[in-house]
Amino acid sequence: MSVFDLQHGTVVLGGRRILEEVSVTVDEGEFVAILGANGSGKTTLVRTLVGLNPLEAGTLTVFGTPLARFREWPRLGYVPQRLSVGGGVPATVGEVVASGRTGRLSRFRRFSRDDRAAVAHALEDVGLSDRAGDPVATLSGGQQQRVLIARALAGEPEVLVLDEPTAGVDADSQDTLAGALGHLSNNGGSVVLVAHELGPLAGLIGRAVVLSHGQVQSDGPPPQPEGHHAAPGHVHVHPHADEQPPSTFGLDR
Amino acid sequence: MTILAFDFMRRGLIAALLVGFAAPSIGTFLVQRRLSLTGDGIGHVAFTGVGLGVLLRTSPVLTAVVVSILGAVLIEVVRERAQASGDVALALLFYGGLAGGSILIKLAGGTNSALGGYLFGSLSSVSSGDLAVIVTLSLVVLATMLVFLRELFAVCQDEDVAHVSGLPVRFLNLLVAVGAAVTVTVAMRTVGLLLVSALMVVPVATVQLLSRSFRGTLYGACLLGAVMSVGGLVLSYYADVPPGGSIVVLSLTGFLVAAIAASVRKRVVR
Ligand SMILES: Nc1ncnc2c1ncn2[C@@H]1O[C@H](COP(=O)(O)OP(=O)(O)O)[C@@H](O)[C@H]1O
Ligand SMILES: [Mg+2]
Repeated sequence: MSVFDLQHGTVVLGGRRILEEVSVTVDEGEFVAILGANGSGKTTLVRTLVGLNPLEAGTLTVFGTPLARFREWPRLGYVPQRLSVGGGVPATVGEVVASGRTGRLSRFRRFSRDDRAAVAHALEDVGLSDRAGDPVATLSGGQQQRVLIARALAGEPEVLVLDEPTAGVDADSQDTLAGALGHLSNNGGSVVLVAHELGPLAGLIGRAVVLSHGQVQSDGPPPQPEGHHAAPGHVHVHPHADEQPPSTFGLDR
Repeated sequence: MTILAFDFMRRGLIAALLVGFAAPSIGTFLVQRRLSLTGDGIGHVAFTGVGLGVLLRTSPVLTAVVVSILGAVLIEVVRERAQASGDVALALLFYGGLAGGSILIKLAGGTNSALGGYLFGSLSSVSSGDLAVIVTLSLVVLATMLVFLRELFAVCQDEDVAHVSGLPVRFLNLLVAVGAAVTVTVAMRTVGLLLVSALMVVPVATVQLLSRSFRGTLYGACLLGAVMSVGGLVLSYYADVPPGGSIVVLSLTGFLVAAIAASVRKRVVR
């Protein structure tokens, strides 16, 4: 069964057509990268997939159900494009990650042992177990990005949608992230990853959808690094590569 | 304690205690979203409600509750659709609220001192009927915040993620807006409409200088709010100043002390 099935999706934001007739399918267990230059519509596409942008035209099903009737939200995990965790009041790493379970809990139920275990597991996955009691604001940018991912993981989703989780993140955090996503993928989970630079994640990608000016430019095997840039860490989409064919990916470093 | 010999003081103190607890419980979520000034906006709008009550010769608290809830919902709708003009739309609403209130009260033949009582609080104004309303509404606000604590935290932390988690985001946002409106009217008698927002925000700002967690900030701020509210009321009795002023000055002093303590701690830790 497909996790997401978007057919001929058109999205209009602020009076502008941002996505034009975009069709993307993500099957269960797939690891799909969404690539493309800045402003090509990657964020808009994943926000549309998780139901945050209305469709002007086209159809979208999530786990086989039309979005309007979809109710099994705990099956989805979403990591938005953010520079920091945010919020005007201090919160501990543990509190933020635990909030990722909220959608699974009924209003009057207490946080159970299972809930605590899921939170501990998520923290472990991103290598922040020892920081659970620290205020989020005291963490580095890369660590905060990991907190956002742990929050999504704590909900034990079947599919994880991540919007540029590696932007501006140190090499250490990128490796940890690759480990966590590999783990999820190996256990049958699906991943939709918006990335601008794949880095250590390149080896995990099964398929790449490349966007350009709000349309799908290509959809297929991930761009292969070429020549002496063959190390997976060198797969790289240039911010202004919009007009160039996908075959040039990896050549600009 | 001669202060407890007066009925109006006993009523005032009970009101101050409950309002002191309730105001920061809403304030924490407003500060979390960086909407600290929302309480001010609602306070301005509530003033029109007071004017309406005076003009119609019904309970000003009742009309203020209704009008400020309408105002809070309107503010929330504007926030949700917020474009660049959202900020200006809110400002217009605030001015309209204050101007409307001042005109309505004058039309009804109200005096300047009655006006001041609503704006800055007044010691003798809490009638036993008011007290019943204040007690009920404060407890409802506190209970609601506790029941929805987890969901409100998630929504105020990240609205998009809350949406994708399947939480009833719009309902929760309206809950905070209506809670803020109710708190404003409940606090109107003691702190006054122009200063009520301070009681929502200053205890939160103070406690967060020293706390690490959201829960710690929330509970600490409620406790501090209660202490400052009651302390300020006692101060206003002995110093013969409007309670709103003394409560806020006391709270701000607390903030200053906490800020100094936090910076000293930082130096010691380094
Ligand atoms: N809410 C919005 N209103 C109007 N235009 C928007 C909105 N969000 C995004 N856009 C525009 O849509 C285009 C694609 O944006 P986005 O999906 O964020 O691209 P990417 O994530 O690939 O950088 C950009 O030109 C951006 O300015
Ligand atoms: Mg983007």
